[in-house]
Amino acid sequence: MPSNGIDILKILEDKLQNKPVQIVPGTLGTAAIITKSGSHRDVFQILVDADEKTAVVSITGIDLGENLGVYYHVRTSNALLTIQIEVPKANPTLASVNDITPSAAFHELEVTDLIGAVFEGNPSSGHFVLPDTWPEGVYPLRKDVNACEVKLDPPAAEEKSDDGKLVKIVIGPQHPALLEPEKFVVLVEGETVREVRPRIGYVHRGIEKASESRTYLQDVYLVERICGICNSCHACAFVESVEKILKLEVPPRAKYLRTIILELNRLHSHLLTLGHAGLEIGYETLFQYFWRDREPIMDITEILTGNRVISSSMTVGGVRRDLKETDIPKVKAVLSGLKKRLPFYVKVYREEPTIGLRMQKVGTLKRENALKLGVVGPVARGSGVDIDVRKDAPYEAYGEIPFKVITYDAGDTWARMNVRMDEVEESINIIEYALDHLPEGPFRVRAPRVVPAGEVVNRVEAPRGELFYYVKSNGTAFPDRVKVRTPTFANIPAFLTTAVGEPLADVPPNFVSLDPCFSCTDR
Amino acid sequence: MIDYPLLIFRVLVFPGFTFILLFTMFCDWVERKVEARMQNRMGPSFTGPHGILQPIADFIKMLTKEEITPCDSKRNVYKYAPILALSVLVFAMAFLPIDGSSVIPGVSFAGDLIFVMALVSVANFMLFLAGWSSTNPYSAIGAARVMTQFLGYDIPLVLLALVPAFLAKSLTISTIVASQWLPFAILAPWAFVLFIITMQAELEKDPFDVPHAESEVVAGHETEYSGGKLAFLKLARDVQIVFGAALITVLFLGGANGPVPFGFLPELWGTLWFVLKVLVIVVLSEYLTVLFARLRIDQVVRVNWQFILPLTVLSLILTLSLAYWVYPMV
Amino acid sequence: MTNLAMWARLKSPWVIHFNSGACNGCDIEVVALLTPRYDVERFGIKLEPSPRHADVLLVTGSVTKQCADRLKRIYDQMPQPKFVVAIGACACSGGVFQGTYGTLGGVDKVLPVNAYIPGCPPRPEAIIDGVVKLLNALAAPPAPPKASEEEAATEAPAEEVTEVPAETAPDAPEEVKKDAE
Repeated sequence: MPSNGIDILKILEDKLQNKPVQIVPGTLGTAAIITKSGSHRDVFQILVDADEKTAVVSITGIDLGENLGVYYHVRTSNALLTIQIEVPKANPTLASVNDITPSAAFHELEVTDLIGAVFEGNPSSGHFVLPDTWPEGVYPLRKDVNACEVKLDPPAAEEKSDDGKLVKIVIGPQHPALLEPEKFVVLVEGETVREVRPRIGYVHRGIEKASESRTYLQDVYLVERICGICNSCHACAFVESVEKILKLEVPPRAKYLRTIILELNRLHSHLLTLGHAGLEIGYETLFQYFWRDREPIMDITEILTGNRVISSSMTVGGVRRDLKETDIPKVKAVLSGLKKRLPFYVKVYREEPTIGLRMQKVGTLKRENALKLGVVGPVARGSGVDIDVRKDAPYEAYGEIPFKVITYDAGDTWARMNVRMDEVEESINIIEYALDHLPEGPFRVRAPRVVPAGEVVNRVEAPRGELFYYVKSNGTAFPDRVKVRTPTFANIPAFLTTAVGEPLADVPPNFVSLDPCFSCTDR
Repeated sequence: MIDYPLLIFRVLVFPGFTFILLFTMFCDWVERKVEARMQNRMGPSFTGPHGILQPIADFIKMLTKEEITPCDSKRNVYKYAPILALSVLVFAMAFLPIDGSSVIPGVSFAGDLIFVMALVSVANFMLFLAGWSSTNPYSAIGAARVMTQFLGYDIPLVLLALVPAFLAKSLTISTIVASQWLPFAILAPWAFVLFIITMQAELEKDPFDVPHAESEVVAGHETEYSGGKLAFLKLARDVQIVFGAALITVLFLGGANGPVPFGFLPELWGTLWFVLKVLVIVVLSEYLTVLFARLRIDQVVRVNWQFILPLTVLSLILTLSLAYWVYPMV
Repeated sequence: MTNLAMWARLKSPWVIHFNSGACNGCDIEVVALLTPRYDVERFGIKLEPSPRHADVLLVTGSVTKQCADRLKRIYDQMPQPKFVVAIGACACSGGVFQGTYGTLGGVDKVLPVNAYIPGCPPRPEAIIDGVVKLLNALAAPPAPPKASEEEAATEAPAEEVTEVPAETAPDAPEEVKKDAE
C-alpha cells in the first residue's frame, strides 16, 4: 500500500478512460503505460497534478525495427512508471513534455542526439553528447548503424560569438576545478554569472552501444567502468536487472555482502567529495585530512573484494568473493576508528567560519525547484526532498537494515555537503549492522549465460543519487539494449539554474556540491 | 672614504643579493615543510638533506625549460615584468637592516620607511602587469584580483606601519629598529596582530589568496608564463613573502636586536636574530594559511573596509594617545 | 652544467593531469598521490594547474574523439622538454573500451608516449614507480637504441617503461602560436 496515500494507478485509470491509453501493471516498474504520441502529454499532466514528486527519471530511445520506441521512465513518490510510445522511423517526431515537467529537457536532448527522435518544443542545437565532428543524421544507437566506422567531419573552426557586454569564461575541458574534461561556458557581467552553457560529451565513449556487442558477463565489467567511483553501484544495478529477467533469487549472504560493498562505495565517494570541496574553496588541509581517512576505507574494500578502486565483485547470481570470518574484525576496527574521528569533521563542516562564508547561501536550490527539476540524491535531500531508493524501493538487504534518510532544508551548498557528512555515519552504521547480521550460506548461485527475452527497469541509490538501469534482452547471450541514467545527469540542470546571479567565485563550490561525475553523465 | 670591496661584497653576497635569494629559498622550503607537516604529509624529503634543496632544484629546472611567449601578449611588458618585480623587491630588501645596518651602509635616509612601502606597491604593480600583459582571461582576472586586493589593503598596511613610526617618533627604519629596546609588538600588540592579518592579505596568502585560487583562475597571473620568466615570477613571490616577514620583524620585533647584546661579531649575531624572527613570522603566516579556507573576492574586500580599516584607525588613535601620555611616564 | 640541469629536472618533475575520457578510477588514484599516505611532494612532484608550468603530462582514459583535439593542444602548450605518461589500461591501449565508437583507444594514437603504466586502475604505488622509472631512464646514458624494461610486480600491476627518447632539443622556437587556454 502506498505510504503517502497516492494511488497513482487508480487516478490514471479514472482520468484516462476515454483516451487511447493502456495500463499494464507489474511490468517495467510499477506499471507500463502504452500510449500514442500526443496522449502522453495528458498522462504527464495528470501525474504532475496528482503528485509533486513526479519527475522524469530517464528516457530510453530504442530501435524496434520499423519504429523507434521512446520510453519515458517516470518517478512518483511511490511508483516507477514507464510510458511507452512508438513513433515511425521515417518521421520520428513527438511532442515534448518539457513544458509540463522541466526534468525531461536534458533527457529529450540526449535521445535526439543518440537515436534521432525529434521532440517538438525542445529543439536541439548542435550535438549534445556526441563529438562536435560527428556527422549530422547518423544515430549511433540505431541497429543499422555501424557506429565504429562512422567518418567524422573535419573539425570546424571555433566561432567567435558576440555576447555584448558579457564576458565569456570557459571552464574546461582542462581546468583545475574539474577532474574530468567537460566544458562550461560561463557568461559573466563583472563578477556575476548571467548564464551557464554546458557542453557535455567529452567522456562519451559509447558504452550503451558497446554493451550490445558483449555478453552479459562481459557487460558487468563494462558498466562497472562507466564510473570508477561508484563502480559497484553500476555493477549492482546491472546484475540486479539481469537477475530480474532471469527470475533468479540471490542467496541472503550475497545480499548482505553486496550491501556492505555498496556502502563502502558510498563511504569512499562521500569522503572524496567532502575533501574535494575543500580543494575548491582553497582549504587544502581539509582535503588532505579527508583523503587520509579515506585510505583505510580503500584498504577494507581491498580486503573484501581484492581491489582498491574498481571492485569487480558483483556477478550475476551473487558476489565473486566471500568475506572471511577472520577479516571481519579488521573491517570493524577500521570503521570504529573512522567513527571516532567523525565528530571532529562534523564540527569542522558545521562550525568552521570560512567554510560557512564560502558555502552557506551559495547555490540555493529551493524545494519546489528541486522537485521540478527532478534532482536526486544528496542534492535533493539537501533541499528537503526525502527521496532515497534504499528506503523508497528497498533492494538487496536494505529492507532489513535500519537507517535514517538524512535531509536538510536549506538547499544550499553547505546543506548538500552536510547531508553527505551525516550519511557517512549512517553508512558506517549500516555496514556494522550488516556485518553483525551476516547470514550463513552460499555467496553466489550459478546463473545461465543465455538470458530469456524480457525487459526490466531497476534503480539503486548510488552515492550521488538514484541510478537507473533499463535492460532489454532478446533471448541470446547479448543484451538488446542497456540504458543507463546516472545521477549527475539528473543533477546538472540544478547547477545551471542555481549558478545564475551568483558571483563567479561561487561556481566551483556550488558545482562540487553536486558531486559531479562526468564519466557517468556521458557514458 | 668608501671601502669598495666591502661594499661590493655587501651588495652581491652578504647580506645582499645572494644571501637574500638563498634565504628566500630556505624560507620557501620551511613553508612547504610546515604546510606538509600540518597536513600529515612529509613534504620535500629527498632533494638534499630533508629536501632542503627542493626550491633550488625547482628554480634551476624552470631556468632550463623552454620559454613560450603567447603571440597576443604585450611583448615587452610580458618579458620584463617578472624580472622587474624581482629586482624591485630585492632592492626594497636592501633597505632593511638585516645584520644591524642596511645592505648598503649609509643608504638609509630620513623617511626611508615611506620609500620602502612605495617600492612594495611598485612590485605589486609589476605582478599585475605580468598578468595583464599575457592576455589570457585567467591571467587577466588573476591580475585584476591582485590589483583589487592590493589597492584595498595597502591603506591599512601603510597606516599600521605608522604605528611603530609614532612610537619611535621617526620615519627612518634604522631609528625605528634602534628605539626598540622593548619590541613594539609588546608596546602595541593590537597593531602587531592587525599588521600580521593585513600582511597576510597583502601577500595573498590564505584566507586571502584569491588571486591564486586554482579552482577559479587556474594559476592567476602566472598562468601563461613558462621557463625562466616563471622562475623569476615565482621567486619574486617568495621574496615578497620573506620581505613581508622581514618588514614585520623590523617594525614590530626589533629587527636584528637580540635579547642579550653581544660584543663579539655583532653582525653575525644580528643576522642570526633577524633570521630567527623572520622564520617565526613565516611559520606563523603559514600556520594561518593552513588553518583557513579561501574567502571570496567580495568578502576579502568587505573584510578590509568593514573591519580592518576601522580597526586600523582605532589602533592608530590608541597608539598616539598612549605614546604621548602613557609611555613617556613609564 | 648539464649535470646540474639534469639533477634539477629529476628532482622537480611538475606534472599536469589530463583526463581524456577515463572512468575516474585512475583519476582518483592520481589525486590520491598528493595525499598523506603517498605524498609525492616528497620527491618534488607537484601537480600544477597550468600546462605551461608542467614537465610531465599524466594522461588517463582512452582518449574520446571529442577530447583528442584538446589533448593535443595541452601537449602543445607545454614547454620543452616534456614527457607523456599514459596511466591505466585505457590510456595504454583502450582497455575495456576498445572498439567503442566514442574512443580512439590509447594515448599513443594522439601523442608520443614515454611511459606506460597499466592497471585498472594502477595503484598509486605503481604510478609513483612508473614516474620514477621514467626519470631514471632519463638519467641513464642513452646507450641502446631500444631501451625497454619490463618488470612484473607481485601484487601491483606490472609497470613497463618503454620508448624513452633522447633529450629533446632545448632550443626550441621561443614564440609559439597558440591561443590562450
